[in-house]
Amino acid sequence: MKRDSRLRVLLGTRKGTYVVEGNRRRRSWQVGPVAHVGSEVYHVVADPRHPGDLYAAVNSSFWGPMLQRSRNWGKTWKEIATPLTPARKDREPAFDDREAAKRPLLNLWHVEPGLASDPSTLFLGADPHLLFRSPDLGASWEPIDAINRHPARDQWSPGAGGACLHTILIDPRDARRMYIGLSAVGTFRTEDGGRSWTPTNRGVLAPFLPDKHPETGQCVHHVAADAADPDTFYRQDHAGMYVSHDRMESWKRIGRPLGDDFGFCVASPPSAPGRAYFVRLDGMARVTGEGHFQVYEWNDRTRSWRRLVRAGAFPGHFGVHREGIATDRLDPAGIYVGTTTGQLFISPDAGRSWQLVPYTFPGIHSVSVADPTSG
Amino acid sequence: MVEVRLDGWLRQFGPRGRERVEADSVAAVIDALEARYPRLRFKLRDETGTLRRYVRVFVDGADVSATTGTRTALDGVRTIDILHSIAGG
Repeated sequence: MKRDSRLRVLLGTRKGTYVVEGNRRRRSWQVGPVAHVGSEVYHVVADPRHPGDLYAAVNSSFWGPMLQRSRNWGKTWKEIATPLTPARKDREPAFDDREAAKRPLLNLWHVEPGLASDPSTLFLGADPHLLFRSPDLGASWEPIDAINRHPARDQWSPGAGGACLHTILIDPRDARRMYIGLSAVGTFRTEDGGRSWTPTNRGVLAPFLPDKHPETGQCVHHVAADAADPDTFYRQDHAGMYVSHDRMESWKRIGRPLGDDFGFCVASPPSAPGRAYFVRLDGMARVTGEGHFQVYEWNDRTRSWRRLVRAGAFPGHFGVHREGIATDRLDPAGIYVGTTTGQLFISPDAGRSWQLVPYTFPGIHSVSVADPTSG
Repeated sequence: MVEVRLDGWLRQFGPRGRERVEADSVAAVIDALEARYPRLRFKLRDETGTLRRYVRVFVDGADVSATTGTRTALDGVRTIDILHSIAGG
């Protein structure tokens, strides 16, 4: 029942979760199930290990953060366990816990399914600077104390979006090696399954701090791993676009040829190794400065940039959030970009052509793709 | 025994709208409701026990949300209204 030839684009928006359905041709789209109406949804993701399972990070301004799961491609949803503050492993209130009293859970930011070899594991990033692991698909959560009780966290500052832990990447060769991104702290790597973490921000500028190259304090916006080379990463930071070829030991800025290389999002498709897609924004206005929609492709082999959208094809000033770009696993890659004003742009052919889905969504926080599971 | 009247929106988490509760404080009222309707937990209060920003509690018609809050004693109190405030956009 859960094997399905449809391709689904999953949107987390300011007013709910949307599932947009298409097929492998990626030419026509229908807005399918809508859920969590009225709530902010920061991230929606499919679990490829369990076709049909979707997770949504729902942040209700009234009722607080709620993790929700669908087991039927978004037709129905159910609230599952939501982790609490770092001190808590259970769901009992801890009114006398001074640590918890300082830091209630604010917003859920990112759900990351574990590797296929680890079919019951989920990771969750949250505000304030929290990382959790579930060993049982969200029935319970364990705090990752090396982050949640990190001795330096009192010096960690939030970004404009909060103290969000928004990026979680797992090395496909070894689940003990993971990478996380926190605003405005930077990136970290663990080699031991989360017991210890090393800052990995060498080479990334922090223009808003007295020390321009600190160990931490950089405002990472998002990071994508190269599908063909798990040691290579593409990074959109507050202070520019970067690449690392050494497991984030060091970063090289690649965005300078673009001038203002501000932005929030980055994606790298499995079918195009060495390519990364960025949406460059005006660093002050936080929208596309050219006056039209544009996506930039970085070719890591030729070390060159290419504009993917014909100038003026989609006039306007568009904002795109950190989870606002995604790619599918098909060849050629599909590229999907959701804007803060509710447009969904799709390229079915690695950027050669673009279409605007004829539907205006609420402002889009996140875009992800559930690839076809058959057909 | 206190009559607790609940906002219609809270019905998604279990309660039908009116509940009778034996309790001596607002916190105890919420404890009792959460025991009856586990999905209500952490919707009215966060895990530190603080009322969520847009939850309003009225004790015999008086808004205590920003004053005594969940510590409000209920001696002689007949009704409690738990509402969500008008907010958002």
